Amino acid sequence: MSTPAAPAVTSPISTGMPPQRIARMRRATFFSFVGLGTIVGTWLMYVYLSERGMRWSEWGLLAVFTPLYYQLNVGFWTALFGLWLMNRPGHDALDLWRTLKPEDHEEAITASTAIIMPVFNEDVTRVFEGLRSIYLSLEQTGHSKNFDFFILSDSNQTSQWIEEEAAWLELCRQLNAFGRIFYRKRRKPINRKSGNVSDFCRRWGKRYRYMLVLDADSLMSGGLITSMTRIMEKNTGIGILQTFPKQIGAETLLGRVMQFAQALYGPPFMAGLDYWQCGEANFWGHNAIIRLEPFIKFCALPALPGKEPFGGHILSHDFVEAALMRKAGWAVRLLPTNRGSYEEGPPTLVDMLKRDRRWCQGNMQHFWLVFAKGWHPMSRVNFIHGILSYASSLLWFFFLLFTTFLAATPVPQLDPQAMQAQQILLGLTATLIFLPKTATLLDEVFTGRLFKPLKMRLLTFMSSMADTVVFTLMAPVLMIFHSQFVVYTVLGKGVRWVTQRRKAEGVDWAEVFFTFWVVCLIGIVWAILGWFVSHAFLLWISPILIALFLAIPMAIVVSGRSSGHRFGFFLTTEETEPPSVLATMNDNLAEIKGRIHLPPELEKHHGLLQVCLDPYVNGLHVSLLRRRKSIDVSRSYLNEIAQRMIQLGPQSLNAQEIKAMIHDTETVTDLHYRLWSARDHELAPFWATAIRQYNLAASSPFTHTLAQRELA
Amino acid sequence: MEAVNIQFAPETGTEEEWNEAYARLADYFRSYQLHNRIRRTQLILETLRRAAAAHKTNTKKTPTAHSIEQARIMLKEWLGAIYSDMNLNESQLEAGGRLGFHLSGGPARWPNFFLDKENLPQDMIEAMRSAVRASGPGMQVSKMTPRDIDLGRVSEVAEDTFDTLGRHPILRYSILIGIVVAVLTYLYLLFR
Repeated sequence: MSTPAAPAVTSPISTGMPPQRIARMRRATFFSFVGLGTIVGTWLMYVYLSERGMRWSEWGLLAVFTPLYYQLNVGFWTALFGLWLMNRPGHDALDLWRTLKPEDHEEAITASTAIIMPVFNEDVTRVFEGLRSIYLSLEQTGHSKNFDFFILSDSNQTSQWIEEEAAWLELCRQLNAFGRIFYRKRRKPINRKSGNVSDFCRRWGKRYRYMLVLDADSLMSGGLITSMTRIMEKNTGIGILQTFPKQIGAETLLGRVMQFAQALYGPPFMAGLDYWQCGEANFWGHNAIIRLEPFIKFCALPALPGKEPFGGHILSHDFVEAALMRKAGWAVRLLPTNRGSYEEGPPTLVDMLKRDRRWCQGNMQHFWLVFAKGWHPMSRVNFIHGILSYASSLLWFFFLLFTTFLAATPVPQLDPQAMQAQQILLGLTATLIFLPKTATLLDEVFTGRLFKPLKMRLLTFMSSMADTVVFTLMAPVLMIFHSQFVVYTVLGKGVRWVTQRRKAEGVDWAEVFFTFWVVCLIGIVWAILGWFVSHAFLLWISPILIALFLAIPMAIVVSGRSSGHRFGFFLTTEETEPPSVLATMNDNLAEIKGRIHLPPELEKHHGLLQVCLDPYVNGLHVSLLRRRKSIDVSRSYLNEIAQRMIQLGPQSLNAQEIKAMIHDTETVTDLHYRLWSARDHELAPFWATAIRQYNLAASSPFTHTLAQRELA
Repeated sequence: MEAVNIQFAPETGTEEEWNEAYARLADYFRSYQLHNRIRRTQLILETLRRAAAAHKTNTKKTPTAHSIEQARIMLKEWLGAIYSDMNLNESQLEAGGRLGFHLSGGPARWPNFFLDKENLPQDMIEAMRSAVRASGPGMQVSKMTPRDIDLGRVSEVAEDTFDTLGRHPILRYSILIGIVVAVLTYLYLLFR
């Protein structure tokens, strides 16, 4: 591995940083439209409300209406600017792709790049098969020499940890990639994902010029990775280059709708964001390449004042790292990409809410940073937008509450001017909500950007109509939950760091019922209240109340696997023509799915079973463990729990006890021989069965989680 | 390795105990991915022969325990001969040696030479010694120290407030209850 040193950090460099003149002009244009839209909307609302003077509830309504309308305008104008950029005949002056000439793609890449994947109790097969596909795709470019891969594990479940080790070894063996793919497990996962990445930076950061960050469900093509490295080489003023990760691999209705919506409406939004964010874009934590030297020097995260959840360790580190990088003078750019950068989304509504709970807390923490000194103004805007993305749900909830109060105390007669303002506002709001979608859809129908065949374009049109129904039903439910998350965060109720479920495992009806019954109840109570307040009001608010009332069946339906796939609904290009990096991964995952599995009890503890019984896995684990001069617990304690595990099985030990054993080289080696030496009646039924069945499940202990794809 | 004595007749232990030891050794050598049954049987019988001798001197241990212990001794001797000059401690020798056999493709390429310290093919020795296990490249340590962010006056006030509320949950919930009571009072006045 050749690792030329990163260039010395000098003054901020202009290459890759959009000229101030252009950036200012773009923002002045964009925010003028946004500001104008917000002012007009707020004024119309004021005219409507102030017909007979403003009561405090009307002031309250106006106060929550204004930020909501601002947010609506930001989305609207971002999409519209994006559509204009996508359809205008000339090139974008700031297009980073144009900094690469055709001959640049043939030149050797001399910069050393670490491709890192932080993992935390993730599906081992998905992680390593994804990594294999990326590795092979990079190899195919012929420019992979200076790229190294790192799996940075913080997994705290023993079986997961062992399976990761075994999968790493097997992958390296199959690809002949020892010295190219590395595995590192942290003993103490301090500061979660950002701490994991910082730990990498401290240990190996100096060896690499760039770091490409992946999520456990990320997938990137070699072509895009090499292009990103080349863009970073050409544009030395860029600190972070973020791609647009498209969603893939969805199997449920919710997943496929989100995937479809992102594929269809995502590109104009990304183009629009790139238009006005310029050199102050955001970092989304993965599928991005980072210049390591300034990152190490300037982007270490301090703890926030106060305790978690509002203070303490920064959860949504990516936004802050982007702001710190920009503060240090390096550009943070968004690279509009159509292919080559992928991720997976949550399969069910409950999983989506769990993820949102974490993201909400992370974004709310940024409140502290909005007023901090030294940020670029756009970094503050990014923080505010992040906060608004969740706080707006609470604002919308308040808006509806105020509306209910006002409906209960109607003014006797509306004058013509107020009536007119109300009608204009209604029309304007409907335009802001539906025009971007309609325009994007028309763009697809006329240009065939996603699909060329007319039939597919028409199916896209119909899918878009159908997704409107799904989003209309989901939006009020999300409003209730996001409002609750915001309130919980402010009240100091934090979230645990849990693994994101990325694949559907069937609908858990009980979980759905216990999650959504309160939402249903809110819908019913609100409807009864509305009935007494005014029938006209009830009619007006009924779409929201119906969605709340139907929360449970809706959650079940969207979490199911009937997604209209066979009728051609919600198709994306990644489903119809999967890129080679995705096709490789899908083939390998399909192979593993068809394997013989051990009984569920053994499968549950498979990693533990392997490290205890298998001579090679045991050898691998002991080889990878760092030898410690002193152990945290006494030898007699370790012997006692080892004996308990042999006689009563792994279920008799708690996670801490298992971890204590598995971290000690002597105990792990000893356990292997003690288990094999014990007579059947001395063993727990778990071990007796495991010894008899272990050799039957797989031809090799290392193939349990990986496909068999030896390199020719 | 000596010729295998198929007429295995241990002087101590019951037939049931030795049958159990046989079954366990069969599973144990299978876990080494030795798919050649003849070779596996040779190894089992050789190990049992050694175990029978050991059991005669110590009958407190079961034949199964003696068998696995003998298999371990044979493994250590065999690995010791392969890695003789590599200065490995016992734990490294056992763990790394087993892994070296796997990574060099030993179970498929040299199953007949497994645990046979008298016959060590040169290519097997070289392959096992060069089998690389890397958990990470050499470290080049950097400092990544967080710099304080001046959060400004507003955050200071907010911090003090949240700090106070955080330290006094009764105060926090009193404020919340106050807000709820105010809203309910307003509703009462509205519909009175």
